[in-house]
Amino acid sequence: MELNKRKNLYYLFTFAICFVIAFRLVQLQLINPERFDRESEKNSVKTIITTPARGLIFDRNNKLLVDNKPSYSVVITKKEFDTNTIPLVSALVNIAPDELRSTLNYIEGTNRFIPTRIIRDVDFRVISFIEENRELISGVDYTIEPIRLYPTDFKASHIIGYSKEISKSMLQKQEGDYYRQGDLFGTTGLEAGYENYLRGEKGYEFILQDSKGREVGPLNEGKNDVQSVSGYDLILSIDADVQTYAEKLLQERKGAIVAMDPSNGEIICLVSKPDYDLNYFSGKLSPQVWTALNTNPDKPLFNRATQTRYPPGSTFKMVSALASLQEGIMKPNSTIVCEGSFRFGDKVFKDHGAYGSIGFVTSVEHSVNVFYYKLVLKIGFDNWTKYGRMIGFGEKTGIDIPEETKGLLPSPEYFNKVYGPKGWTQGYVVSLGIGQGELGVSPLQMAEYTSILANSGTFVQPHLVKFLKNPNSGELIPVSYKKRELEIEKEYFKIIQKGMYLVVNGNGTARSIRNPDVKIAGKTGTAQNPHGRDHSWFIAFAPYDDPKIAICVMVENAGFGAAVAAPIAQRIILRYLLGQIDDSEIIEVKGNFPD
Amino acid sequence: MQTRIFDKFNLFVFISAFGLIAIGLVAIYSATYGNELVSANFTKQLVSACIGIVIVLAIMYMPAKYISMTAYLFYALALIMLVAVLVIGKKIKGQTSWFNIAGFGIQPSEFAKVATVLALAFFVSNRNKEADITKPRGFFTAVGICLAPVALIMLQPDMGTALVFMFLILPVLYWAGMPNYILFFIIAPIITAVCAFLGTWYFVSAIIFVILILVILKRNILVSGIVLSIAITAGFSVNMVYNKLQPYQQKRIMSMFNPESDPLGAGYNVIQSKIAIGSGGLTGKGFLMGTQTQLKYIPEQWTDFIFCMVGEEFGFIGSIIVVILFLVLIWQTIHIAYLCKNHFLSICCIGFATILSFHILINLGMIMGIMPVIGIPLPFMSYGVSFLLSNLIMLGIILNAYRNRKEYV
Repeated sequence: MELNKRKNLYYLFTFAICFVIAFRLVQLQLINPERFDRESEKNSVKTIITTPARGLIFDRNNKLLVDNKPSYSVVITKKEFDTNTIPLVSALVNIAPDELRSTLNYIEGTNRFIPTRIIRDVDFRVISFIEENRELISGVDYTIEPIRLYPTDFKASHIIGYSKEISKSMLQKQEGDYYRQGDLFGTTGLEAGYENYLRGEKGYEFILQDSKGREVGPLNEGKNDVQSVSGYDLILSIDADVQTYAEKLLQERKGAIVAMDPSNGEIICLVSKPDYDLNYFSGKLSPQVWTALNTNPDKPLFNRATQTRYPPGSTFKMVSALASLQEGIMKPNSTIVCEGSFRFGDKVFKDHGAYGSIGFVTSVEHSVNVFYYKLVLKIGFDNWTKYGRMIGFGEKTGIDIPEETKGLLPSPEYFNKVYGPKGWTQGYVVSLGIGQGELGVSPLQMAEYTSILANSGTFVQPHLVKFLKNPNSGELIPVSYKKRELEIEKEYFKIIQKGMYLVVNGNGTARSIRNPDVKIAGKTGTAQNPHGRDHSWFIAFAPYDDPKIAICVMVENAGFGAAVAAPIAQRIILRYLLGQIDDSEIIEVKGNFPD
Repeated sequence: MQTRIFDKFNLFVFISAFGLIAIGLVAIYSATYGNELVSANFTKQLVSACIGIVIVLAIMYMPAKYISMTAYLFYALALIMLVAVLVIGKKIKGQTSWFNIAGFGIQPSEFAKVATVLALAFFVSNRNKEADITKPRGFFTAVGICLAPVALIMLQPDMGTALVFMFLILPVLYWAGMPNYILFFIIAPIITAVCAFLGTWYFVSAIIFVILILVILKRNILVSGIVLSIAITAGFSVNMVYNKLQPYQQKRIMSMFNPESDPLGAGYNVIQSKIAIGSGGLTGKGFLMGTQTQLKYIPEQWTDFIFCMVGEEFGFIGSIIVVILFLVLIWQTIHIAYLCKNHFLSICCIGFATILSFHILINLGMIMGIMPVIGIPLPFMSYGVSFLLSNLIMLGIILNAYRNRKEYV
């Protein structure tokens, strides 16, 4: 019978399994058991984790902006730690006993055999106590770890950002198991955006120790050890001198400045004020400082350059102009009659003067409101939204730091959703035509918009990092960014550029910043602020013939765009293009500017 | 009189199983000694073993047809429990495989092992046409019976237990009469895939081996060609799939095959358990005297790593006794399967022998560093109420098969 044959196959497998196991037992237990006996005498493997230094950060001229310095961290190996010494240890490192206890409770599984960081950046006094009292506090040790050092007066806190200890929820959510309790994790700015490059890779050393905790030698002759790998350095597109100058120009005002190269999207400076001192975050962050930063009504941690959502005011008018030209609704030489006010339904929209029959160039130069009230109704809401989106409003620009708002670009669908299909009128659209109402944009989006106006229709993804640098080989790895051409004829941009040129160099709203050396083209704007004084906008690019810089300045509660924002923009342009420094105070020009 | 008792009762199986349980209890006592949190585990295991004797005897004296008639019912219940555990189960160490009923943790996947063997045996022992496993319909239904619980267990996720079910298929179907060539057609791609993963030369030799066997089998050239191309495709795709994985997933797989490459994670326990067993020597360090195990260098050593205790404290002599007891148990189970005239019970015995052998090979192999790190427990010895009870139910059915071995129905 066939089963008889098959039975033997099953027997064979069973005997084979048992034979293999018995053979292995002989190998482990009878041949050379002394080796394992010795291993079991020095019975624990101590794992030492070496934390690599985070990558350095340089500006576009290779000036070192962010460095590292050594600091001491206290670590506890739970397996060897005696919980009776909690009061002593908590007094030593200045942590409440309960907090220390709960930290220890969190250490489970094989982590019990690995030193876990309890507190970082402690005094040398603590280290010498540990050295002198090893017997007393077994399981407590220290390691030397790099922490951030900011070697110059360069600040740029919102660009660089900070790292914090990884939270418990992040630890559980992480893919893989790289991060351990107490590890630093880039939380904001470039530290967060490039966390995977900056952090490097941790190294591991395995050391055998005897039952008294004395080190006996490396495990397996060090073959299992893993070398730590330093993180990549970042080479930024930021010009440190321009950045520092721009931060100084804003003084104590609240606001933001973004300047970029319109040809490639490289950000030259990105300022958000008020800011904060990154040194707070480099060692152990004191809870008092953290609370103070978070409860400060001026919100210093908030990145105004990328996260604010204010209406852009008149700076937005060129969107309607481009839309009307591209859609063929207006000819480049078409005109609109501007009477000085505009009646729509029972509402009257005001203007600062009557200009008669004018074309696009004059409408931009004098920022004529009636022109754009009428124009936005001609092109229609759908087209207005279409071109706004094409330029990048209502979307993230894709800058390489995580803090960024999409802003808000209203559309008919959006109004239908918020107010219901009958809850809003064309009057809302009339307001949007001059950049007021629910439209919300960030200074970064405005700088991007200015770049598009300057380079005649190319969206260049704004970015802060030009190269990653391999710290060992010195190899520079360029970071790639997107570029896309807008579906708008280049000749239409020439009309807009001409109007913006006249804003400064003609009879326009920013003629006060005219400069004989550099031809600046710009546009003022004022964001109506229901909670207080209006916010001031100014966008500009220069030189007019061959733009090298596109800039957006937004100053909160500073009134008209020409008053404060325009002079700041002018000085940064002159600083960047000519190296001129003007340290005189910017005096807010009082008066009623048309805007 | 005496011969009549042993005619109905297989003492070899009974003694080897309860001998293993007794050694396991000693080891659990030692492993949990001085650890207040888990010392109750010894008592729980002891109580389960005592209740287990009753269960074993009850099943043994049950009429055989009660077992076959309820096979599908238990299988359906097991599937329902596996679904329920995903919904209301407790999450322990990232796996949702536990129910908590009145303070007792119940692990449905353990009972599903028994139920799946019963259902599979019942299906293939049917003599009607639908169950003919040489035809595609019967074959794929049989495979489906095994894979339904696998799918649910993968969701927990518990890879180790899922593998047990997958390894069940071939030995059971082969015993049930699957022809040699079909067996080979199925294992050929598996062999080439594993060899391809190990390296190019392994892959090439595996393909040569497959071609040789195909020539010997002398099947239709078209069929042979298809088998060969499937085998080659499997070999290539295993590396493609591997390369598509995230680096941390690759690391996890590599550390399964080479635990020492990850001395912090999976490899940690294996390094420690090898030291523990090796340092036991010929006679061991004595009860409660193991330095490795008593110093608790191995986490949760009363479950998957229970054999370390035996190896360190009772040495080679203790360890080889355990291996011999397992050998007797499995060998007798296969022997019973052969003797048993009842087709259903015969196949059940082969299913249980496969499950037990797989557990023994993977568990002991892992502890001694010759098998991938897959967390499955050691039968009859590892702590775990559900696991022990499911092992004892298998034992009861094996003994039942012996008692009824001369009956056809």
